[in-house]
Formats: sequence, C-alpha cells, structure tokens
Amino acid sequence: MQETMVYNEKISKVIDNVNKVMIGKEDVAILSLVALLAEGHVLLEDVPGVGKTMLVRTLAKSLDCDFKRIQFTPDLLPSDVTGISIYNPKEMEFVFRGGPIFGNVVLADEINRTSPKTQSALLEGMEEKSVTVDGETIPLQKPFFVMATQNPIEYEGTYPLPEAQLDRFILKLTMGYPSLEDELEMLERTSKEHPIESLSPVMSKEELVIIQKEVRNVYIEKNVQQYIINLVRETRNHESIFLGVSPRGSIALMKAAKAYAFIKGRDFVLPDDVKYLAPFVLTHRIILTAEAKYDGKSARQIVEQVVKQTFVPIRKEF
Amino acid sequence: MSKKNQTNIPFIYTSILYIAGLLLFLEWLYPVDEVTDTVFLGIFVIYTIFCFFISILQVKWWLSLLLKGFGVFFILNGVYSDHSFWSKHWFTELFADFGFNIQALFARQWFDLSNMFRTLLFLIIIWLMSYLIYYWFVQIKRVMIFSVLTFVYITLLDTFTVYNADWPIIRTFVIAFLALGIANVLKEIQSESLQSYRLSARPLWILPLVAIVLFSSVVGYAAPKLDPQWPDPVPFLENAVNGDGIGVGGVIQKVGYGENDSTLGGSFVQDYTPVFKAFMQEENYFRVESKDYYTGKGWVNSDEGDYVEQVDWDITFETFSSTVESNPSELVLTFDERANIPKLIYPYGARHVVAQSEDVALLLNEETGEIRTEVDDDAVNLRGYSIKYNSPSYPIDLMRNSGAPEDEELVRKNTRLPNNLPDRVGELAKEITANHESQYDKVRAIERYFSGNGFVYQIEDVPVPTEEQDYVDQFLFDTKAGYCDNFSTSMVVMLRSLDIPARWVKGFTSGEKIEEDVNELGDDVYEVTNANAHSWVEVYFEGVGWVPFEPTQGFDAPNNYAVDTSTEDDLLEAPEAPEMPEQDLEKPEQDVQDAFNPSTGENDSKFEITKTHGIILAVIFLVLIGVVVWKRHQLRIYFLERKMQKRKDAAAYQDAYHYVLRLLRHKGFQKDPDQTLREYAMRVDNFYSTDEMGRLTTRYERLIYQNGSPNIVDDELSNLWKNLIKKILG
Repeated sequence: MQETMVYNEKISKVIDNVNKVMIGKEDVAILSLVALLAEGHVLLEDVPGVGKTMLVRTLAKSLDCDFKRIQFTPDLLPSDVTGISIYNPKEMEFVFRGGPIFGNVVLADEINRTSPKTQSALLEGMEEKSVTVDGETIPLQKPFFVMATQNPIEYEGTYPLPEAQLDRFILKLTMGYPSLEDELEMLERTSKEHPIESLSPVMSKEELVIIQKEVRNVYIEKNVQQYIINLVRETRNHESIFLGVSPRGSIALMKAAKAYAFIKGRDFVLPDDVKYLAPFVLTHRIILTAEAKYDGKSARQIVEQVVKQTFVPIRKEF
Repeated sequence: MSKKNQTNIPFIYTSILYIAGLLLFLEWLYPVDEVTDTVFLGIFVIYTIFCFFISILQVKWWLSLLLKGFGVFFILNGVYSDHSFWSKHWFTELFADFGFNIQALFARQWFDLSNMFRTLLFLIIIWLMSYLIYYWFVQIKRVMIFSVLTFVYITLLDTFTVYNADWPIIRTFVIAFLALGIANVLKEIQSESLQSYRLSARPLWILPLVAIVLFSSVVGYAAPKLDPQWPDPVPFLENAVNGDGIGVGGVIQKVGYGENDSTLGGSFVQDYTPVFKAFMQEENYFRVESKDYYTGKGWVNSDEGDYVEQVDWDITFETFSSTVESNPSELVLTFDERANIPKLIYPYGARHVVAQSEDVALLLNEETGEIRTEVDDDAVNLRGYSIKYNSPSYPIDLMRNSGAPEDEELVRKNTRLPNNLPDRVGELAKEITANHESQYDKVRAIERYFSGNGFVYQIEDVPVPTEEQDYVDQFLFDTKAGYCDNFSTSMVVMLRSLDIPARWVKGFTSGEKIEEDVNELGDDVYEVTNANAHSWVEVYFEGVGWVPFEPTQGFDAPNNYAVDTSTEDDLLEAPEAPEMPEQDLEKPEQDVQDAFNPSTGENDSKFEITKTHGIILAVIFLVLIGVVVWKRHQLRIYFLERKMQKRKDAAAYQDAYHYVLRLLRHKGFQKDPDQTLREYAMRVDNFYSTDEMGRLTTRYERLIYQNGSPNIVDDELSNLWKNLIKKILG
C-alpha cells in the first residue's frame, strides 16, 4: 500500500506536468495514462491543431522516456518504421539500424495517411512487442507505448484502418476544442516561451515498468467482471450494431479499468471505472449497421445506450 | 400567523371556510338541548353566530372584545334578570351572584354554581371557540382535527345518550368534506409551487367539489348497509366493567338480571356465572318485580311507586288471595359473591324473611313487588337469607269461573297499550281466543299458541325492532324467533288487547338441581345462574289474584303453579310442545343452540368464551398489526442494527445498506439500474446536504468490490447508518 501511495504521487505529478502544457485536458491525460499503464496503445482521432502531438510529447518528456515520432505519408515504407539492415563495408557485414519504432513512446502521426503495408508494420509491433526484419525477430523496448493520431475529416488519399487493426488500440480518444477560458489561458502561457521547454521528467522508465506490473495486481471482483461481460454481450445483441465487441475488447476493458482504478488510488475496480471507460474502450470496436449509420447514429451514442441498458452490480454473494 | 399568507386569497374563500367552521361548531351545540336540561339553546346559537360574525369581520381586537363581552352580559340580563340592562339593581345582582359563585368555585362546590354563572361560562367557551375556529380554519387551514373531533363527539353522543345523530352525521360529513376540500386547495395555492397562481374571485371552482361531496353523500346514504356488527358498546362496556349481567336491552348482551327493560330485543350470549344457590324441597319461580307499562319497545313502570318498610321482615306483598290453597314451606338462598342484585329474590307466597344481619331494611314497592334490601339507606346485596312462604295451588275452577275484575284502577293500569300498537296484534289475540268463553281458557289458549305455530326459541340472531317497528308485532308476525322476553311480552300485550289485566314479571327460574337431599328437611340444592334470569306473565283473576303463566317455549312452570290435580282435562287439553325432560327444562337454551350447532353441542360455556374472547383477540391482533405497520421502519431498523452489531459481517451490512436504498426509493429517490452506487449517493447527499450516504457507500463499495470480506461493521458505521436513516425518515 505504501508503494502504491508513492506511485500514485508520481502519477499525479505526470498529470500535473500535462496540465502545465495542456490546458483543460486533464481527462485526456488521465486516459492516456490509463492506456500507458495498461500496456496498451491509444488512437487519438481529431482535427489538426488541437494538441495531439503536444500531449504525446508532454507525456514522453514527463516520463524520461525515449520519444520517437513517425509522420505517416503515403510513400512511407515499412522499413522506415521498423528500421533496416545496412551493409557496413568496414566490418563487412549487415548491421541493423532500428527505426523509430524502437522508442519508448512513439507518436504515429496521421496513421491513416500511409499504405496498409506500412500501417501493419506498426500494428504488428504494437501487438507482438517485437518486429521482424530480414527474418530476424527483434524485441521492442520496454515500456512501449504508441499514440497514433488520425484526422477524421480528410478522406482523399487516406487508408482507413481496418477494424481488425483498430482492435489493437486499447482506447480511442478525441481531444476536442478547448473552452473559451482555456484557450485564452493557453495564449497567455505560450506568448513568451512554450511551457514544454521547461518540463522535467518525473518518472523513470523503470518506475513505469513497475507500475505497469502493479496495475496487473489490481483486484477485480467477480460481479464487476460480470458487469464487463454484460456490457460486451449487450453490444453483440444490440439491433443497431452489426459487429459487436470481441473478447479482446472485454480484456481491454478490464485492463483499462484496473489502470484507471490504480490512477484513482484504489487497489480494486469499481463499476464506476468500467462505466466511465466503456465508451473509450468500446466505441472503435463495434461496426454499426447500415440502418443505424443511415439514421445518423454514431458509435459513441450506441455505446452510451448500451451502458444505460446494463445493470450495475450492487450486491455480492456471500 | 402572518397576514401575508392570506394576501392572495380572496375574502370570499376564507368566509366560506369560516362559515363551514361555524356550522360544524353548531353541530356541537344542537345536542346540548337534548342531553342536558338547557332551555335557552336558541340564545347560545344566536350568540355563536354573533361571535363568528364579528371574528370574520376582523375588526380591531378591542372592538371585538367589547362587542362580544357586551353580548354576554346582554344575554345574561335578558334571561336572568327582570331589571333593565343599565339599572343599578342588575349590576348589584350580577356582582352578588359572581361573588357567590367564585366562592363556590374555590370551595369546589361545583353543583352549587348558579345557572347564570354556568351560562356565563358557557358563553365564554363559545367566545373562545370563535377565536379558535378562526385560527384553525382561516389562518392555518387545518380543518381535519376539528372535523374528526366533531365526528367523534356526535357518534359518542349518539351511542351513549338519547341524541339521535342520523341527520347530524350526514350534515357534518357534507360540511367537513367541503371545508377540507377548500382548505386543501387554499393550502396548495399558498405553498411555493403555486405562488404565482391567481385565484379567481368567483368561487365557481367550488361547484365540482360541492357536486362530488353531495353525490358521495347521497350514494353513501342510499347504499345498503350492514346491520351493526358490533355489540352495542354501552351494555358491552358495562358488562366488561361490572362483570355481572345487566339489562336486557341492546343488541347483544350477556344474559342476566337487569334493571333496564325499556329496549328489548337483540341477541345475547349465555352467562353461567352463578347468582345464588337455593335449598328447597320443590321447584319455584323466583319473582323480583313486575312492570306494567309497555312502550312498544320494552317495559317501564308507569310510576315509581312508594316504598314501604317491611316491619319485622314480614312480607306484606300478596299476589294471590287467601282463598287460594297453600302449603307452608321454607327455602334458603345463599348468594354468590359476584351477584349484584340488591333486591329480595322470593318465591310466590313469601311471608317472612330471616337474614343474618339485623340492620337490613326491606322496602317494598307495592306496585311492582320489588323489595329493596338496604342498610342505612344504601342498597346492599345480602349474602343469604331464608324465606318462609306459602306455596300456592291455584284453583282452576275458581279461575275459570271468575268474573270481571272490580278494581277499575287495577284494570286500567294493567290493560294499557301503546296507541301505535298495530291492530293485527289485537286481531290475532281475538282469533286465538275466539272459541273460548272464560278468561282462564282464553289465557291458556294464548299461552299455548306460542308452543307451536312456527315459533322457535333462540337467543342468537334476535333482531331489535327498528324505530317504526313494534317489539311484539315484530316477534308475532315477522321473526317468530326469540327468547323469554319476546314470548312473555307478546302474551301480556295480546291479553291486554282483550282487556284481560296482565303484567310482565321478571325474576329467575329454579335453576339446575346440583345436589339432592342435603339436610334433614330433605332439601335439594339448586344452582341459579345468570342464564336463569327469566320473564313471564301474571294474569289477574278476580277472587284469586295474580296467577303466573309461562308462554316461553321450552319452559315449564314449577309444579305449584296453575296445575290442579282435579282438572285432568286441562292438562290433556293443552296441545303444548311435548313435555320436556327435567334437564331440558333447566337449560332450554342449550337445546336451541344444539340445533344450530350440531357439532359443538357438548360445552356451551366454552363456546361463548371463545366467541367473546375471539373478538377481543381479533381486536388485539388488529391493533398489533396496526402497530407493526405503523412502526415497521423502526422495527426493521432495530432488527437490522442488531444483526449488524451481532454478526458484524458483510452480509448483515449488505442488508442494512439495501434497506437504506429501499427507504430512499420510497422517498422518491429511485436508483436507475445503470446508475452506480457512487452516482446515486452523490445525488442523495446533495438532496439531504450531507456526506453520510457517500461515506456509507464507500464502505459498502469496499465490501462488495474489494478482495475478501473483512468484518468491517463497527460502531461508527452503524451510527452513520442510523443517522442517515433518521434523516431519510425525517
């Protein structure tokens, strides 16, 4: 418990750091941390300029991690992501030079702008925590955290991620525009020097790995697990949903809930955690029916409906 | 109360409410006339209206005081004084009277208060009531209390006094419900939610209310109603208090000897409480008194009669003349401790009494034959005495040949009948006796009439005549079912309709023989219980005197009555019900009951005990249920708390926590199924401005979502829980 307290302090320091740079985006920061602590990855979907990149950079800087950025373009090749073996004439052999995927925190900017071949190189790394280059499997660094961004507005020349691959992201977040006060405050703060320049790391890589281990130990009661299952099953039976959430989604929801509980200083999961996270975890894992799309319903609305239909457990069998 | 409450309510509504209050209060005044000896009720009513009128005008307090006070003295002057209002004499008179009464008040001589002073006090009460009702009805608009009190008052008076509240209760209903409706609307308007609502100055909206109240009143009035399901509370309560049998009147009574016979009818239950034991050689009917005036509902005495002290305990009362043959005999009565009849119980032909205490005075009422037993002018119950008597054998020849009675006063008194007695009673009597010449034969014919012709003896389901019905007429033509009072009264009335002098006699039968041959005189012991209280008939024969007859089915008069061995034919002639064996004669009631309850014939007293006790048990049971329903929260809380403190485990706390959820649901805080406990707790805490639900919920969350289930219930938690419940229950 004592250790948890210490780590909690660290986590709140990270959040404080984000708050210094990103104004009014504490919830997004916490959710990103959830993904980080649950050893998952985040898909940020929003219009350009709302601070997606800034958020990732702030996180990386706070964590004292190796930050890498990949700008996805249509001509980007898989080897640009994973790295390539180069012939060293002096040594007379091929030497592997790792690509940007060998960082701790990787920002995959505009992931939908590149070809599926390149996308899958990244996604394989996210899933397997290793990459295969020239027939050789090379493990990635620990911790490994990808934040991918995509722009939902442009369709020309984009390659939307296939559903199977969206599943790899534990959370899908949106940033949204700042409020009037927040935007004013932002102008104020950035007028002289950008606050990110003055940030210093508050958590080491090693600490992060330990916390990730701690999160796995957070307790989840049977009735809350049942609640997760009920939510997921509800998506499979919903009339507006063509394809429901896979079992991988259930696991993701549980992992995220554990991380969220940990961030909130608890060593057990509440239904509140699950309920809060469900839209972020489930929305990108369902495919709506044509009718629902035609009616102008969004996946988010449907998931909220599912949450509303599902009973929260308030009893335990003794 | 503050005036601003009334600002948005037009005067007309407050006046309507207040007038309703006035009408309800008048309902309190009307019965005063009937249940007390008040003469000037009209004046009180006028003064009430006067006071209410001044109150509603809301004049300055000193003007109101002056006017109302002036009214009081004006009335006192008008009613009690010959002097004019302003004369000096009147004031001296007034002061003298007050002085006297105030002294009497301090000396607590309540009965010495003068009428004038009492009137003054009563007027002051009316005065105060006008204020009080103004406060209740107009200012705080709480009509319920006074309405309920009015109902209680009227129903109590209706039950316990002569006051007949048939109409007043309907009036009260209509007025009270109108007032309740209006007051409720006004209260709603005054509450914050309708502050902006402007009430129309025209009271048209009251019309639907009036229509509904009138409609429900008419429906209620016209709807068929069950007969009273409960015993008349007066005899019921008296029974409960005294433990003795009392009057034969009302709906269901315990049988026994009673004083009041003015309202006969109704069922009763048998009461086998012993009254006395008689040591005697032959069976006797024990006479106590007779009654001579039939009202159509029951029996009263036309005059109180004079009481004559019986010198040396020699009884001067004679029912038969000296020509009647009689055997000197003696019997001894010993009374049960519970017996409460401060009168001599004596056989026919009683001559002399020997009692243990010499202080006892015997006072004979020569009209009725009632002999009071007193010591120093106080009625006493004698514990025992012996009576010397001449057991008569009535000469049937003489009776058959007796002529018209000469004593006109006696005939007048004992042939009186109520004017509204239905003619068919007399016609029936004529029909029965058409073939008989002599008075004796006529009497016997009527006596025999009851042993057949569809009459049955029963003590249950015996109705009380309605207001329009005659007791005898009802029995003879409608019900044909009843007990001794029905039979004896009917016989007397029929005889009287034939101008044969007859009277109604009360007393006891000889009871049940419990021992034989107990002493050297050869006395048998008879036990007489309340169930043996009886009534029968005495008929006057010129030259013979009063002769007892027994019309009641299943009863047979003892040997010494009207049976002359010389007239065998008389016995043969009587087509009575088959002679009953000795045992049946003593307990005819039992036979009847057996007929109705063939399965439970073995023990009557047990049956009755279960019945009365059953009612009491049912009442207790209902009260208990009421208390449980009323106190269910407290009970539930008590048990849950005990369980928590005793077991200190998670399951107990889970129950306790869910009880809070249930209470909240009753208070309108429905927890949505998708709502988490935290979200719900926040909502509740916001409403009650507390953090207790949040704290309770945090503990509960740890219980049901955290690993393991430690014994987490401590005093702090149970206190928290109790506090929150107190808040919820308000």
